Amino acid sequence: MLDTLLLILIALPFIAGFICLALKNHSARAVVVVLVSIVLMITSVVLLGQGNFEYTLGGQWNTLITYLDFALLAYIAFQAFYHRKYHSLFAYSAVIFAIASIVMVYYFDFVMAHGIEVEPTFFADQLSIIMVLIISIVGSLICIFGIPYMKDHEHHLHLEITRQPRFFLYLVLFLGAMNGLVLANNIVWLLFFWEITTLCSFMLIGHDKTEIATVNALRAISMNMLGGVGFTAGVMILFSNAHTLSLIDIINSNHAPSLLILPLSLMVFAGLTKAAQVPFQSWLLGAMVAPTPVSALLHSSTMVKAGVYLIVRLAPAYADTWLSTMVAILGGLTFVITSALAVGQSNGKKVLAYSTIANLGLIIACAGINTPLAYAGAIFLIIFHAVSKALLFLCVGTIEHGIGSRDIEDMHGLVDKMPLTAVISVIGMLTMFLPPFGMLIGKWTAMEAASVLPIVLLLMILGSAITIVFWVRWAGILMSTSSKPVKRVIENIAFLTKTPLVVLAALAIILNVIIFQVYNLMISPLAKVYYTKAADTFTQVGNGALVNTVGSFTLWPIFATVIVVILFSIYAVGKAKNSVVTAPYMCGETADNDEDRPRFRAIADGWVDYSHSNYYLNRVFGEEVLTNGSNIISIIAILVMFIVAYMGL
Amino acid sequence: MVVLAIVLGPIIGGLLTGIDRKITARLQGRFGPPIMQPFYDVFKLLGKEKFINNKVQIVYVITYLFFAMLSFVLFVLGQDLIAIIFVLTVGGGAMVMGALSVRSPYSQIGSQREILQMLAYDPLLIITAVAMFMVTGSFKVAEIVNYQIHNNTPLLYVLPLVFIVLIEVLSIKMRKSPFDISAGQHAHQEIVRGVHTEFSGPYLALIEVAHWYELMLALGFVAIFFASNWYIAATLVIVMYLLEIILDNTTARLTWKWMLKSAWGFGIVLCAVNIIALYFI
Amino acid sequence: MGLINNSRAKSPWVVHFDCGSCNGCDIEVLACLTPLYDIERFGILNIGNPKHADVLLVTGTVNPRNERVLRNVYEQIPEPKVVVAIGACACTGGVFADCYNVIQGVDKIIPVDVYVPGCAARPEAIIDGVVLGLQKFQEKVEKMNKKAVGN
Ligand code: SF4
Repeated sequence: MLDTLLLILIALPFIAGFICLALKNHSARAVVVVLVSIVLMITSVVLLGQGNFEYTLGGQWNTLITYLDFALLAYIAFQAFYHRKYHSLFAYSAVIFAIASIVMVYYFDFVMAHGIEVEPTFFADQLSIIMVLIISIVGSLICIFGIPYMKDHEHHLHLEITRQPRFFLYLVLFLGAMNGLVLANNIVWLLFFWEITTLCSFMLIGHDKTEIATVNALRAISMNMLGGVGFTAGVMILFSNAHTLSLIDIINSNHAPSLLILPLSLMVFAGLTKAAQVPFQSWLLGAMVAPTPVSALLHSSTMVKAGVYLIVRLAPAYADTWLSTMVAILGGLTFVITSALAVGQSNGKKVLAYSTIANLGLIIACAGINTPLAYAGAIFLIIFHAVSKALLFLCVGTIEHGIGSRDIEDMHGLVDKMPLTAVISVIGMLTMFLPPFGMLIGKWTAMEAASVLPIVLLLMILGSAITIVFWVRWAGILMSTSSKPVKRVIENIAFLTKTPLVVLAALAIILNVIIFQVYNLMISPLAKVYYTKAADTFTQVGNGALVNTVGSFTLWPIFATVIVVILFSIYAVGKAKNSVVTAPYMCGETADNDEDRPRFRAIADGWVDYSHSNYYLNRVFGEEVLTNGSNIISIIAILVMFIVAYMGL
Repeated sequence: MVVLAIVLGPIIGGLLTGIDRKITARLQGRFGPPIMQPFYDVFKLLGKEKFINNKVQIVYVITYLFFAMLSFVLFVLGQDLIAIIFVLTVGGGAMVMGALSVRSPYSQIGSQREILQMLAYDPLLIITAVAMFMVTGSFKVAEIVNYQIHNNTPLLYVLPLVFIVLIEVLSIKMRKSPFDISAGQHAHQEIVRGVHTEFSGPYLALIEVAHWYELMLALGFVAIFFASNWYIAATLVIVMYLLEIILDNTTARLTWKWMLKSAWGFGIVLCAVNIIALYFI
Repeated sequence: MGLINNSRAKSPWVVHFDCGSCNGCDIEVLACLTPLYDIERFGILNIGNPKHADVLLVTGTVNPRNERVLRNVYEQIPEPKVVVAIGACACTGGVFADCYNVIQGVDKIIPVDVYVPGCAARPEAIIDGVVLGLQKFQEKVEKMNKKAVGN
């Protein structure tokens, strides 16, 4: 049973990916993708029923992975070298990092740890299972969304020969790699899957083969390979210090922490690059040139979560160290900096990208705080962020195909043009920052957990205040409507586009209703296992409230209020049927026109348009203003982290 | 308790607003309206014809009202301060989105400025809660009050600087001069009427009532600084309120940059100093 | 309902529209706000937005260029509403009545409830006018209700 499940979750996507590559027929490929997606979803749920497990594969598999790792790294080096003319710095650095990795892996596998057996190869606790569920359900929905999306996308690009087979190869294969990554216990395996996701990311960012896409792909791979080198070095030091390669062993280790801290700091560093934390945020921003399903799948809900996963996974191992504090500070810094950067952006996808980095930073900060409460907060955030952010990316993709722009300013009055998408987008945005939705519960948990570390708490407070700015105004704009009677439009979007949107939106809401069950079933056992001595997690959950030792969040009054608001609104809107609909106040100079927005009357009975836009406050929150300073600050912080780790604090 | 809070909240809030207007008038050498004036205004507005721009607006107003109410009720029930502030955000957010939902230049600008106001006060309010936590070891209002009663040490003694910051927070939240940048109070103008421009009649009345709840919540924040003695707490609230009114009448409106700078610079630094000082006491 | 009706008379918010006054009447309207006259005693607020107003104060002469602005402002005031024409100009065109571009009185454009004479109208007269207008609220409300029933 277990081997079948693992086979389906990890190997099936690889196989399906290559089938997609071979299939030249669009509908056949669509059928394959949809089928695989459904199978993955079902399997992941079955895995949930299966519960925690360990699973060991024989030694010949380890050898296979080693050789595949060489092939993979060599391919990455080749790809980077092949594209060197686009950006030589990024390309050559990626080549160097890849070669360095090969040398290190060779030395490690054949000299240091030759023939080492790690048991078990795979293991799953609730955290792994949560990740598998996210990857398999959210990821699959995104793949399904990709089918009609890519058709449109290539239509816009006027491509002669379709390049979709290659696209779906990497997209579907990626799911398998991610599942492998989160289930692996042998760190060498984890590293192997890690590098596969790096390759997928590179290939998919550069998919459109435009100059900018290739440059950004190179940027991504050079930064990620730097993280990979760090990771490999970490594994080597880990092995020489503690003589283990098993994740479980490290987390529950009785090793003296000082032996583990340096390798752990290197792995955390790898996690930071993967999660695009400041100063590595530029690669994720660049990655936004990729088609939207890629942004949704790799660059918001799953791949970047791999970095976070690693940091959260290892968190119990470095609890109560200075390293942990530095991780918390780094996460908090990223949270504030990228939230502020998001305020200055009017490009919808960039806002989402920055907000993604910010939330990953928040999760990392939770990992750094390293108490059961913080751990719970981190997992809340991982779950809810994956669903809401994937939904939002898909919405922006749909909107972009609908109105031909991803600029927020062009989305005024979207609810009149694309009612369904607009409403779903607003749901997605509200779930990001308002109670009683899970993201906010996570943020609240994080804040109360951070009360042991005031500086991180301060960063969280500032970041969360800034977050409100860009969500509120974006959500507000989407729902702005003309005061003239509008023709009711039924949105005409493909079934395969609509289904993922609706399902994800439903998930985003349903998950909030069952948040207590989620906590009791998935989160609280984890915190209990990994933090045996501390007990300051939620002491009581249920009865509509989350209670911890420092505070409590009673959710039912909020749900009740939401219901009252809904009922009252229905009543009031119904009663407002006879009320007068007026044009906005325009100093008495409203000019008649057919446009959906009012204008001022001007000389000779003509009209003048006024323009209004959001305040983007570029002189305060602009990229040029903030990026350099924040990069320097965070580089210093990372150096401090290494120094602290080197000293074994 | 809940019913009491829901009923008495706006009544006291309205009366306080009436007193505010009376004192303001006196400060300006005028006779001023009757104390009950805010209630007359609200009842009159309720009886006006319903003018709307679109139906979404109505939903936003109702959200604002009920979440303002909820945040006050949660406060009275002694709930978690951070949770209360988050609930308050829902109301504020709904107000902004309501103003943004109309394609009117004035309410659009007003909403942008309201967002800036939220950006200015929101972190300070949470930091205030954190400072209280630092002293009392709990985020829950009930615990914070209990702690002071038990130890007989009012928070004001240990958190004086945070209290000063709270003065600014209240000015911003209550849209008092010099921070009335998103919508004026009473007859003050601000780019027509800022966020309120496109709300009229009964909907404006609901906004006014919601505002009273928020006023009560804000004053509640002040009161728990001296929870060891409720008489002094009441005096503190009154003094604070008078101070706000005097500030309102003696200052001119600042630009948003000033507001942000003073809130994030002055406010956060003062709070930080106070919190660091806690470690040494 | 009684409460609401009583409140109407106690909280008339005025919006002031200057059609093309010589500013004489405008100054007098503003004088009403000063400590000497202090119309806020009666709950009167000077509001800048017709959507919030109950009473429209019109000063100066209407002309074909601004007539539609006046009408628009009038239409944006929710019922029940009262229009007070202030000064000779607003009532009849005043000294400018014979000009080629002047419309003789605001009531040619929108229904006027109270005429306050004078050139310029005295603040006391203006306050009287508004108070007189308030008495008309009652009729207006009845009319409004009838309309609502008719619907
Ligand atoms: S009535 Fe007299 S004071 Fe008033 S606007 Fe006309 S000319 Fe001026």
